[in-house]
Amino acid sequence: MGNGWHGKLLRVNLNEKSCTTEALNMDWAAAYIGGRGLATKYLTEEVDPATDALGIDNKLIFATGPLTGTYGAANGRYMVVTKSPLTGTVACSNSGGYFPCELKYSGFDMIIVEGKAATPLYLKIHNQQAELVDAGHLWGKTTDETEDLIRAEFHGDAKVACIGPAGENQVRFACIINDKHRAAGRSGVGTVMGSKNLKAIAVRGTGGVTAASPTGFREAARETLKMLRQHPVTGEGLPALGTAILVNIINQSGALPTNNSQFGTFDKAEDISGERLVQTYLKRNKGCMGCVIACGRVTKLTDARFTGKGEGPEYETLWSLGATCGISDMAAIVKANYLCDEYGMDTITIGSTVACAMELFQRGLITEAEVGMPLNFGDSDAMVKLVEMTGKGEGFGKKIGLGSYRLADSYGVPELSMSVKKQEFPAYDGRAIQGMGLEYATSNRGACHVRGYLVSPEILGLPEKLDPQAIEGKAAWAKAFQDVTALVDSAGVCLFTTFSIGVPQVTKLLNAITGSTCSDDQMMVAGDRIWNMERLFNLKAGISPAQDTLPKRILSEPLPDGPMKGVVSRLPEMLPDYYSVRGWDVQGIPTTEKLQTLGLA
Amino acid sequence: MLRLQFYGLLRLMLSGKEALDLPWQEGDTVGRILEKFQAVETIPLTHKLISEQGILHAGTIILLNRRNILHLDKLDTPVRDGDVLALFPPGAGG
Repeated sequence: MGNGWHGKLLRVNLNEKSCTTEALNMDWAAAYIGGRGLATKYLTEEVDPATDALGIDNKLIFATGPLTGTYGAANGRYMVVTKSPLTGTVACSNSGGYFPCELKYSGFDMIIVEGKAATPLYLKIHNQQAELVDAGHLWGKTTDETEDLIRAEFHGDAKVACIGPAGENQVRFACIINDKHRAAGRSGVGTVMGSKNLKAIAVRGTGGVTAASPTGFREAARETLKMLRQHPVTGEGLPALGTAILVNIINQSGALPTNNSQFGTFDKAEDISGERLVQTYLKRNKGCMGCVIACGRVTKLTDARFTGKGEGPEYETLWSLGATCGISDMAAIVKANYLCDEYGMDTITIGSTVACAMELFQRGLITEAEVGMPLNFGDSDAMVKLVEMTGKGEGFGKKIGLGSYRLADSYGVPELSMSVKKQEFPAYDGRAIQGMGLEYATSNRGACHVRGYLVSPEILGLPEKLDPQAIEGKAAWAKAFQDVTALVDSAGVCLFTTFSIGVPQVTKLLNAITGSTCSDDQMMVAGDRIWNMERLFNLKAGISPAQDTLPKRILSEPLPDGPMKGVVSRLPEMLPDYYSVRGWDVQGIPTTEKLQTLGLA
Repeated sequence: MLRLQFYGLLRLMLSGKEALDLPWQEGDTVGRILEKFQAVETIPLTHKLISEQGILHAGTIILLNRRNILHLDKLDTPVRDGDVLALFPPGAGG
């Protein structure tokens, strides 16, 4: 009888080119659930938060949850945890596909990578047999080329997570791509991998995952499957239109940041919508391993100017390479999305950084000569060219590769970066959706939508409809969503399941797989524990609570258009409530009493 | 006249039709307009928005001139000549 765990982690030391197996700390697994929570616990124990994110002492942790690789929901997730070179905060980026389950089936629950290789290497794992091998021939290759080459020389069924040229070139927001199109996308986890001269991890695993209560798990899994299939969002909306369904919803709601957040609506949103994607380049939908939702978009370009095939774009990408750059050219967005996957770059940050550069150009702060071309809002050819230059580390692309905060700061106008803690907003205006503004300001990895998706209640009406302009109670909602997300991530379950299932179902699945007997409240406490642990890491890293804020534009420039015309973020009114609800002092520091209740002091 | 805009699954079910103009009468509400809409279409459609009992599904978004009717009078919200109703069956992402 198992408990969702193999009880083993693989420690990879790149200095010594060694791979050793260690017992997983099961006490920590119980307290921090797994994945994001457990990996962050290891990070806090082994890495000085003040260390240089791109230095030899930072570590890179690939972690599964106890539910990763099981059936019954969308349980194919893994997380990459490290210190971020973009934000200086803790980083945790989450990805699906097939690699996460294969890692679990190899017999390892987690991989900790430490040190730095003298020359490029990649890690091969075949059912608990791990070795580091030369990757000199892979260096400089795109992610799809890398995966094909590794599968040809290692194993035809191997699953691969790798960096592209952007990670090698130390683009600050490089991601780790697995299964060619799935990204551990945000915060520069691929940059850290590149700094260590680690090109890829390739896994072949033929094992499985066993449950503490096989019958209990089977029952919980069947229930979950039924709930996901019967809910209109996970059973119909996401399979048919994917996340791109949001373009028109958010635009009509007046919350689609346009031209670097100078506006809240985009008059050409229809041209970059999910509905339009279905009519143009969508070939079919696709799921991660064992997922019944299948929100992925398999696409192929048939445009005269651009060629290629791949997956996506997702909603966030349609916005970042579209509306916030003033671009309505769907083919160009799809092409740039492919380039981001091939070079290994976060589409949200690069699109937002191009948008920031466009505003710098609009204001005359950068010139055509400097960029090498005009850079007007709406210029899709320039956007595609800049994406490619960034991936290759060429010309002005080197500046784009710094991210929007460092770019804008270098011209003396950091306030033109639409970011929090140096990480760019995703596709929702923090003025139009007050809770999201609070969420951006307080997210432990900088501005982010998958740390507490208050769009769900404030716009979508799930689990209930909240007024997006109300601020009363939003602090408690933000905390609850942040804690639930920490729990779900750590379990190894896709966040999209939470549109259909709630904490009780997650609890049921976790108890059945691990043998625990936790209540829903105890699970929520685990989420709270993980959130506070991340906060403590950031404080020790020198990330002051003064950074729990938003750009001046969001705080003091009223939205000039759309149904939310005239509003600004009311963050200053919500933040004290948030600190109070969290059990932190008025300065935003977790109190000793609070930490004691969580077992963190 | 009153304009209906179709999004998400509704548009796919309507073979790409983006909008439809319907005649408006004094006393019309959002719910009454949905009944009129269903009456002129040949396939069942409004069940994607509301239940058989006439209750909005969780996640259905209906915007009247870009304001969510959940913050107005829901299906009883009065409509006027020239209004625009945007219909979104439940959908989500992130």
